[in-house]
Amino acid sequence: MGKKAKNRREFIQSGMRMSLGLVVGGLGALSLKHVTKDEWVWQIDPFECTQCGRCATNCVMSPSAVKCIHAYDLCGYCNLCGGYFKPDANKLSTAAENQLCPTAAIQRRYIEKPYFEYVIDEDLCIGCAKCVKGCTSFGNGSLHLQVMHNICLNCNECSIARVCPSHAIKRVKAADAYIVKGDFSKGGKT
Amino acid sequence: MKNKGIIIFLIILAVVIVVVIVADFTSTKPGKQGENPFLYDVSEFKKVDPALILYKETKDLRIKFDRPAGITYNDGHLFVVGDSLLQIIKTDGTLVSEIALPDAPECIEVAKDTIFIGFKKYLAVYNMAGELGKVWEPFGEKSVITSLAIWNGNIFIADAGNRKVYRYSTNGKKLNEFEGKTSDDVLHGFIIPSPYFDLAVNNEGELWVVNPGNHAFENYTFDGNLRAYWENSSMKIEGFSGCCNPAHYAFLPDGSFVTSEKGMVRIKVYKPSGELSGVVAPPDKFKDDGHAPDIAVDESGNIYALDFDKKMIRLFEPLRALPE
Repeated sequence: MGKKAKNRREFIQSGMRMSLGLVVGGLGALSLKHVTKDEWVWQIDPFECTQCGRCATNCVMSPSAVKCIHAYDLCGYCNLCGGYFKPDANKLSTAAENQLCPTAAIQRRYIEKPYFEYVIDEDLCIGCAKCVKGCTSFGNGSLHLQVMHNICLNCNECSIARVCPSHAIKRVKAADAYIVKGDFSKGGKT
Repeated sequence: MKNKGIIIFLIILAVVIVVVIVADFTSTKPGKQGENPFLYDVSEFKKVDPALILYKETKDLRIKFDRPAGITYNDGHLFVVGDSLLQIIKTDGTLVSEIALPDAPECIEVAKDTIFIGFKKYLAVYNMAGELGKVWEPFGEKSVITSLAIWNGNIFIADAGNRKVYRYSTNGKKLNEFEGKTSDDVLHGFIIPSPYFDLAVNNEGELWVVNPGNHAFENYTFDGNLRAYWENSSMKIEGFSGCCNPAHYAFLPDGSFVTSEKGMVRIKVYKPSGELSGVVAPPDKFKDDGHAPDIAVDESGNIYALDFDKKMIRLFEPLRALPE
């Protein structure tokens, strides 16, 4: 018994089905690829950062997409906080003239004598790293900078990375977009 | 006429090229950044009046540690621990002996012929021949032992992790412990934001404990009662800077305090009353943002600074007798 030859209508129908299948399959594969492929974003390695101030001045966003974040598990909750007070502060008070941050983006909250909590107001932070320098030099280094991905445009060529003197800004996988200090749950470094 | 026009055009072109080059050279394009407008500037505080400097650096002794940890002086010898090793060195730098340790040490103290080495959670006792005697039980899960002091059969142990001072007999019997609280209603005792918590006993048998969060020296009875204290918080040369200083200290034979600070690294001498006598080593002697050197002092008042960054022992000798 010979195989029955397809007539033109059947040939067109099967061709259409095959094309439709290919399109649907292709779209599915593309979507899957989009979901699973490694996307890369810019991030600051806080262990390489030298607090040069360029994150504040060179980001295409204004204010910068770089913000200070606080690793509370590293913080000493000190009364005399090197990241909060100017080196020559005449009093350990919240008066503006004693604050190191040029935009008053750090809130000092009393916990119990003599401990204070320091909270960053992200909207006010310009990523200048002045507090990071003070905390790193004179404290435990709990304050550090990170690129915030809800603000960052993820430019092809990061304008901060181009001028970063310590090459602290690098591409990281979007699935692991932050390099947080003191994140012991992830085996983070101190 | 035609040539004149070309010449004028070329001159204008040359001027434009020069202007562009100069503008490019002086611009703040990548790699040509100006000063950091947000500079954290402590340079003013790093300047020290030369009249305040009472010591000069006379010798550097090399040590072979990747991670130096602590130093003490006893009877003409320096005892240095680091990595997993104890080195006994003469003050001229001659190596006397090396003793392998089971763990990374944190601090060391020597009394007569016995060497006490503090590890993170426990102590080990050695004789001068380097033979291991007793290994003490760990003090606790959170313990971070940072300093030891010995006086008349008592050993005082500073535990930064638990914010306590333990008093034991040198043969290992616990006598008491205290947290530096003056009364029950005082919430805080020792304030230890980072693992820098030093103590020592002077030649008068007085136990002085650093309360680094308060930039204070506190004198306790052996039972743990606060007897006296002095404190001085300031970036200026008279005070202690940062969150937790002084990081290390030792006593001169006259009871003066030799202090070592982290952050803005400097070594100074304070009278027993707490008044600044002078400076041993100003900040420009050390790496920026370096570690505070551990300190040892001999009977002549020479100061041995264990420089963790340069990985050497630096000897500072007095320029003149310390002021009374």
